[in-house]
Amino acid sequence: MSIMAYNGGCIVAMKGKECVAIATDHRFGIQAQTIATDFEKVFPINKQMYLGLAGLQSDIITVYKRLMFRKNLYEIRENRVMQPERFAAMLSSFLYEHRFGPYFIEPVIAGLDPKTFKPFICNMDLIGCPNMPDDFVVGGTCEEQLFGMCETLWRENMEPDDLFETISQAMLNAFDRDAISGWGATVYIIEKDKTTVKTLKTRMD
Amino acid sequence: MESIIGIKGKDFVMLAADSTHPHSIMVLKDDENKIHKISDSLLIAATGDAGDTVQFVEYISKNILLYKMRNGYELSPKAAAYFTRKNLADYLRTRYAYQVWLLVAGYDKKEGPQLTFIDYLANTLSVKHGAHGYGGMFCGSIFDKYHHDNLTQDEAYEIMRKCAREIQKRLIISQPRFHVQVVDTNGVKRLEDITTENLKD
Amino acid sequence: MALNDILKHMPSINDAYNDFKACEELSFANLTQNKVLSVPPYCNPVENLAKLQEGNSDVKIHFDHGTTTLGFIYQGGVVMAVDSRATGGQYIGSQSVRKVVEINDLLLGTLAGGAADCTYWYRVLTSECRLYELRNKKKISLAAATKIMNNIIYSYKNSGLSMGMILAGGDMNQVSLYYLDSDGTRTTGKVFSVGSGSIFALGVLDSGYKWDLKDEDAYELGRRSIYHATHRDAYSGGTVRVYHVKKDGWNLISEEDCLNLHRRYQAEKNN
Repeated sequence: MSIMAYNGGCIVAMKGKECVAIATDHRFGIQAQTIATDFEKVFPINKQMYLGLAGLQSDIITVYKRLMFRKNLYEIRENRVMQPERFAAMLSSFLYEHRFGPYFIEPVIAGLDPKTFKPFICNMDLIGCPNMPDDFVVGGTCEEQLFGMCETLWRENMEPDDLFETISQAMLNAFDRDAISGWGATVYIIEKDKTTVKTLKTRMD
Repeated sequence: MESIIGIKGKDFVMLAADSTHPHSIMVLKDDENKIHKISDSLLIAATGDAGDTVQFVEYISKNILLYKMRNGYELSPKAAAYFTRKNLADYLRTRYAYQVWLLVAGYDKKEGPQLTFIDYLANTLSVKHGAHGYGGMFCGSIFDKYHHDNLTQDEAYEIMRKCAREIQKRLIISQPRFHVQVVDTNGVKRLEDITTENLKD
Repeated sequence: MALNDILKHMPSINDAYNDFKACEELSFANLTQNKVLSVPPYCNPVENLAKLQEGNSDVKIHFDHGTTTLGFIYQGGVVMAVDSRATGGQYIGSQSVRKVVEINDLLLGTLAGGAADCTYWYRVLTSECRLYELRNKKKISLAAATKIMNNIIYSYKNSGLSMGMILAGGDMNQVSLYYLDSDGTRTTGKVFSVGSGSIFALGVLDSGYKWDLKDEDAYELGRRSIYHATHRDAYSGGTVRVYHVKKDGWNLISEEDCLNLHRRYQAEKNN
């Protein structure tokens, strides 16, 4: 089994009309054995930006902590909030720094620009190759299923409610076909003036 | 691999560890203590590679004590677990990676009880109950069935007995004796060992 | 995938060409002789087939695997409970597999390991049991049925079959429980659990098992053991099916989705 699939778990992020959404599952397992069902892989970076990390849980913690250190240093030094584009660039070069001994994670970023509120989504491979499409990004052990769900469900200019429904259905139905993802899910809908967090009731097997 | 088990209750954490020390195909020692007392409010149970466990736990515990001497106050259980994880994660990407599986248990007046699950890859999570080793695999469903949020120490000890009984019944490796320790607001206390004999009662 | 693609990864194909010819001759044999399978087109099937199933070969075969099944005997008969998930690698191929095989109105068997292996050989066993009935004008005993199965399985030992079966049924004036596997084991016992989730199922089953269980409590113990296994084991899940076997036949007690079971057990815990 691949080290990327050692703990299991998945992330998906989508663009909507003046909003973005990001969702995570809750499983923390060691191969086939589920250890806990309260490990969320999406972390708040600042008011309107979230980072999702799928892959080896040990590296999820390490990368998250190291990124927060760099991002906080930037914000103190510059005295302004970091834009998602800058954060993605920083993450990319951080990951490439470890080109010959990589962290086993797949990052997904979702956020709004702090000034223009333009939606931003991005994902990368484990050594920092950025990908910034107009629709959705996915990561984790049920990537293929997530791509299939997103390709069929995603439409342009979805309102926040619609986006919530779409991302939830995409994630739920994708991880129901994956043995090592699921056991609960959390969805974040990021809008100009508010962020909504919803926990989904899912299959627990 | 040997078994270590941890259960968190409302105001305590209980650890159990089997007391065998295997070497090749024989049992080298049958009264090994795998639950290390770090301070009056912190315990670490460790299993894994024979030399690594003791070396790593001593390295961690001495540094935690050093921190207390330097600063005049202790690391909280959460901070201690984080410090342990950080060291394990850093060593993982060197040639001297430690093969250790840990349960860090502590009680803090502000934070309350804290049980942290750490494996040899430095995968770390704060849990209500957790276990390592082959024996630990038999305990998962027992926790799920019998654990609840208002657990008393007697109930936790009873769950430990259930786990020990199951391990002795189903695991092909003999683990006849389990050490049990509990940490709560009164500090660390050792409870009666769980043995094949007293499981019959 | 063409057979050639598989064969070119077999270093021994030239040496074993004679075996391959044998396979051609026998390729339709199991139409009339269901216990005869094609000879593998290479030597050492255990070793070489395993190579294909490992990730490091260019050819990857994932058979459906992963299960939790259990059966236990108590004062009121036998309870058998199973999950319904089939996985190929980490992909969930199905959530609605029927892992209890209804051999006839007295005998039941559970299915774990290679899904195709179990399904095929249960079909053979079903026909053998029916033939026995027609020849002897009486129902086959479980002891005899399991012995037939065991003999077939044993003749294929070391050819890579993967099966773990629990069989239960009315046997003269009593109910009995057997365990069979592809190593050639055939044994009776009180409590069996087979599959990737068996260690989790046994945790609950052993702590609640007593000979004197009432019927309802026995059903619940079986159901709960499988539920806990589906919760902890990634490769078990779907629907929990519970069967009750008595001297005079079996009954399907319940079929419940794990989602509903989880909600019910969580609600019980919170009260």
